[in-house]
Amino acid sequence: MIRKNDDEQKSIPTSKVERSTQFVKTGFKIGGNYVKHYSKRLFNSNISRDELNEDNAADIYSSLSKLKGSALKVAQMLSMDKNILPKAYVNQFSQSQYNAPPLSGPLIVQTFRKLHGKTPEKIFDKFNLKSSNAASIGQVHQAELDGRKLAVKIQYPGVGDSISSDLKLVKPFAFRLIGMSEKELDVYMKEVEERLLEETDYELEVRRSVEISKACAHLENIVFPVYYPELSSKRTITMDWIEGLHLKEYLETNPSQDEKNAIGQALWDFYNFQQHDLRAVHADPHPGNFIITHDGKLGIIDFGCIKELPDDFYYPFFSLTSEGFFNDKVKTLQAFRELEMIHEKDSPRDVDFYYDMYRQMIGLFAKPYSSNTFDFSGTEFFEQIYNYGEMIAKMPEFKQARGVKHFIYINRTNFGLYNILHELKATVRTDTYVPQVNCEL
Amino acid sequence: MEIKDRLQESYIEHVLHHGEQPKTVYLFASENGITEEEFYTHFGSFESIDIRIWKGLMTDAVREVRSQEVWAQYSSREKALSLFYGFMELLKSKRSFITFSLRNAKSKIGLSNLFEGMKQEFELFSAEIIQEGLESGELTDRPFFASKYKDALWIQLGFIINFWLKDTSAGFDKTDEAIEKGVNVTYNLFERSPIDELFEYGKFLAKNSGIKMPF
Repeated sequence: MIRKNDDEQKSIPTSKVERSTQFVKTGFKIGGNYVKHYSKRLFNSNISRDELNEDNAADIYSSLSKLKGSALKVAQMLSMDKNILPKAYVNQFSQSQYNAPPLSGPLIVQTFRKLHGKTPEKIFDKFNLKSSNAASIGQVHQAELDGRKLAVKIQYPGVGDSISSDLKLVKPFAFRLIGMSEKELDVYMKEVEERLLEETDYELEVRRSVEISKACAHLENIVFPVYYPELSSKRTITMDWIEGLHLKEYLETNPSQDEKNAIGQALWDFYNFQQHDLRAVHADPHPGNFIITHDGKLGIIDFGCIKELPDDFYYPFFSLTSEGFFNDKVKTLQAFRELEMIHEKDSPRDVDFYYDMYRQMIGLFAKPYSSNTFDFSGTEFFEQIYNYGEMIAKMPEFKQARGVKHFIYINRTNFGLYNILHELKATVRTDTYVPQVNCEL
Repeated sequence: MEIKDRLQESYIEHVLHHGEQPKTVYLFASENGITEEEFYTHFGSFESIDIRIWKGLMTDAVREVRSQEVWAQYSSREKALSLFYGFMELLKSKRSFITFSLRNAKSKIGLSNLFEGMKQEFELFSAEIIQEGLESGELTDRPFFASKYKDALWIQLGFIINFWLKDTSAGFDKTDEAIEKGVNVTYNLFERSPIDELFEYGKFLAKNSGIKMPF
């Protein structure tokens, strides 16, 4: 898989106090003022000043990766929205998707002895104690059993415990990045916390992986590893090793446009089938979760983060994306209200203002749906989103966060998907799995 | 089974079932079908059985970790971690006896006496892995301090045993974390650090730049 971790050991700050100092340090280093008005509301993108440099990003990255676990996860989340974070940050954050200081070999042996009653060398025919890469809240090892090549994911001990306290520490930092007040942030932080805690439950992940890979089995050009529940436990997951390249490496091999389109289509189908048919979506579209196999298929290797779409979010939100919906102002307003994008106490002038702004925003979001095929290679679409974000960042009306909590993961998912497709420069058919909202209209 | 081992096991049994040491050596000896005099040829007191048990635990832990296939590939740091995990795992299997033994020794002979034999074993082991680390360059050879590395590990072990006694987490997961973090911190101190660089830079300047050092 990706870059090997050379130095096997690095210090991980122990106590909450130590963790805090990590953030404090970073807080000082970023000087509080670099990333401004990074707005979480839907997908928008507002950047900061140009003098952002690699150093700042490196400081944040090294601080976060020392904290490991949930903080690393936040780093991964932030690294998703490339439009939103300046390039320098992005490059550093992208590293966190691949590299994190690993657990010691003896601790891995110890974990296996505890959870499986045997050392890994007795369970598997071969087990590589050096991790092949980090998996956000764990790390992945290569193993072999009965001639099958396996990937064994091992969770860092104590992750669940430290998530809540880490998030409390992340808050001020996130607040600076996102530009929201702590009170507003709370609803969103809770949502993040819930997902993160779910991710620490490896037994749940195995169950879901099996379910979703079964449900998605008919999708073309997608491969899922076989999971082995009998070789998994609450902190370990054993699955088939998928041979292939990560996105970045894959793109370096200069694949043809057709090949890239096929991968892009597979991604599109995978996500939209889940969103619109399963109503539960793999909400972690960061490049580290995908492998492109040597025969040009998309391998999906991580089901830690699943976001379910409740009806009271799904219908109003995706109704908005359907053709001609905006012609009906009453219905549109109704949907905005249901999604808490327009509040009860807004004055008529406010209502008009937000109505206009959100229409534009959803219009952008739904653009790929508006035609049968969509070319993600063009920068124009992404610039529009970017400019829109720039614009509203300067508007005092958008100082407060709006929208229900489900937006966090749904936006991360879709926007993450758009970004990956953009990076692939793929053209995809977007009418394969469309929002199913017509019955409600 | 060797008579010493038999007595030792019988002693543990007694402590586990009664929550105390046998009332007298005489009673204990006759229960085991030997004379009091014979007991004293093997052990000076009940506490010396405790000492032997602790030493035995360490010997077993060292033997166990050395027998793991990966042992040869481990760095000095990993060997230390491995021993800590292995040793604590043995303690876990005898937790009731261990807590009794510690409490009893504290009031009677003191912990340093109780750990006497175990410390010897541990130091033999740590001296060896530290030497290995120094030779491979994994650890920094600092005059005076390098000979103290093994003491730092010993202190760390004491700390972790103490932590474990108070640990109430399921499966003693927190103790695993304490080992991972504690041993790593200790080893980080043994490694080359900015302080070493600073010190050498200072030496260099003092020798070469003609700057008069303030110390």
